[in-house]
Amino acid sequence: MLLTFIVQSVPVWKHAGFSFPLGKEWFFRTALFGALPMIYGSIVVALIAVVIAGPIGLGAALFTSEYLPSNARRFVKTAIELLAGIPSVVYGLLGVLLLRDWVYHLLQSFDPLSGDTLLTAAILLAIMILPTIMTLADDAFRSVPHQQRAAARALGLNKAEATLFVSLPQARAGIVAAILLAFGRAIGETIAVFLVVGRQDNQLPSSVLSLRPLVEAGQTITSKLGGSETNIAYGDPLHWAAMVGLALLLLLGVSFLTWFGLRLGERPNA
Amino acid sequence: MGLRRALVAAALLGALTFTPSAAVKINGSTTVNLPVAEAAEILRSEHKLAIHVDTQGGSSGGISSLGDGLVEIGMISKPLTDADRAKYPKVDFKTHQIGSDAVALIVSRDVWEAGVEALSRERMRGIYEGKIRNWKEVGGPDRRIAFFNKEPGRGTWEVFAQWLYGDPKKAPQVAFPEVGGNEETRNKVSSTRGAISQLSASWADGENVFALGLKDDTGKAILPTNDAVRSGAYRMSRPLYLLTNGEPTGEVKQIIDFMLSPRGAEIIRKHGYLPMVDLK
Repeated sequence: MLLTFIVQSVPVWKHAGFSFPLGKEWFFRTALFGALPMIYGSIVVALIAVVIAGPIGLGAALFTSEYLPSNARRFVKTAIELLAGIPSVVYGLLGVLLLRDWVYHLLQSFDPLSGDTLLTAAILLAIMILPTIMTLADDAFRSVPHQQRAAARALGLNKAEATLFVSLPQARAGIVAAILLAFGRAIGETIAVFLVVGRQDNQLPSSVLSLRPLVEAGQTITSKLGGSETNIAYGDPLHWAAMVGLALLLLLGVSFLTWFGLRLGERPNA
Repeated sequence: MGLRRALVAAALLGALTFTPSAAVKINGSTTVNLPVAEAAEILRSEHKLAIHVDTQGGSSGGISSLGDGLVEIGMISKPLTDADRAKYPKVDFKTHQIGSDAVALIVSRDVWEAGVEALSRERMRGIYEGKIRNWKEVGGPDRRIAFFNKEPGRGTWEVFAQWLYGDPKKAPQVAFPEVGGNEETRNKVSSTRGAISQLSASWADGENVFALGLKDDTGKAILPTNDAVRSGAYRMSRPLYLLTNGEPTGEVKQIIDFMLSPRGAEIIRKHGYLPMVDLK
């Protein structure tokens, strides 16, 4: 698959070179293929999703793994894992029905053009990756040997201290892995983002730290690929190559994150 | 509305995962989909025809999935161009017009109630090119114009660009938030203040979204009524086609013949389009 993507995207690399991943403008009818706004959109949306879902997911995982009795934990964990299995189109539809309007009203003072914003997509993704973070972090906490906690308690630490200073540091690698995997899932998510992100091309902030784009519509790699432009691109080698090139960038990004996350997760606890 | 979306999504998933080889597969425009899907229901129950109708990618999706041999019938809501044919030199595209439809500029309630009821081509070009950004410049409220552009590749967009610039290829490159299917367009326009988009006129319900008139050269506003479409006075109208590879035979022909029959015409009329008999 990687090979197919590389071969099929050759024309766009020839045509645009490094201005393909770094170019700021995408106008397919004048053969301008700059993917940077979409890369930016994908990363920002996924990053904010992780920032929102990370602390909540970790807190929940700490609670289930350290405080809940094992029967209750199993029940909660099953319920959470069920949530992780809900098809993303369902989340997307809920996003359209509930989240768009909520964000639209919430952001009124920033005068957003509509409820379709990068922030809407990020919040929706946060909800979607929350179960992933929670259940993986829970596993990480559970893999900390029980004796460690017992030893900590024997040294006079109370429950909260043992959790904070023993379990949390020892599960660190697993937690980072959980977050990376969730980040990868957020970047690769298509339908749900497609429905609420607004799909506006060429949206880049005036400065890297500007938050303004968050309340405007944007475009991610996946929402671009999910759109009708793929149908137009078909039959035009260069345009098609540009679309495949986007897919290639996405594939590389997600594979790297997953590989890195899994590697960290495998590392034995110190 | 959400339920219908969910059903479409479910049907889509179903079609992707489980497709008996004997079924006639149809894909394309969400505009043409409405009467065709209803006709498919009737043919299914009366003649036991197995038909799958899908709306992946709009008109251009209809053309490409027929071109690739994934479906037997494409649905398109725009004229078939030479460029479309050139992409699939081996495919013998045959168009079967089943009716006509008007594309309207639709606005949200607040814009309509503030008194914007028609736009000239000049003004719409200004909006499209980003020169007009506030409704007060065209006689509306002091509010940013939230223009949702139909994705290029949608029949609606092609017809719109044809009207605005004489040729979709001449339309300047712009970046606006984009919308896809008709359901999505209506939903987003109705829930956003200061919104405008392009949509099949029959989908403008006059409750949540409102169809604007187009001002002709004399400044007279012409509404997208069936009469105005029939007479050609309303400029943004379009043919609705079923598309086949070569002359249709067997069950494919049966479906097309049904759409052209009086019962088919009745269904087309019910969805707000003009069937062929009404065009004459």
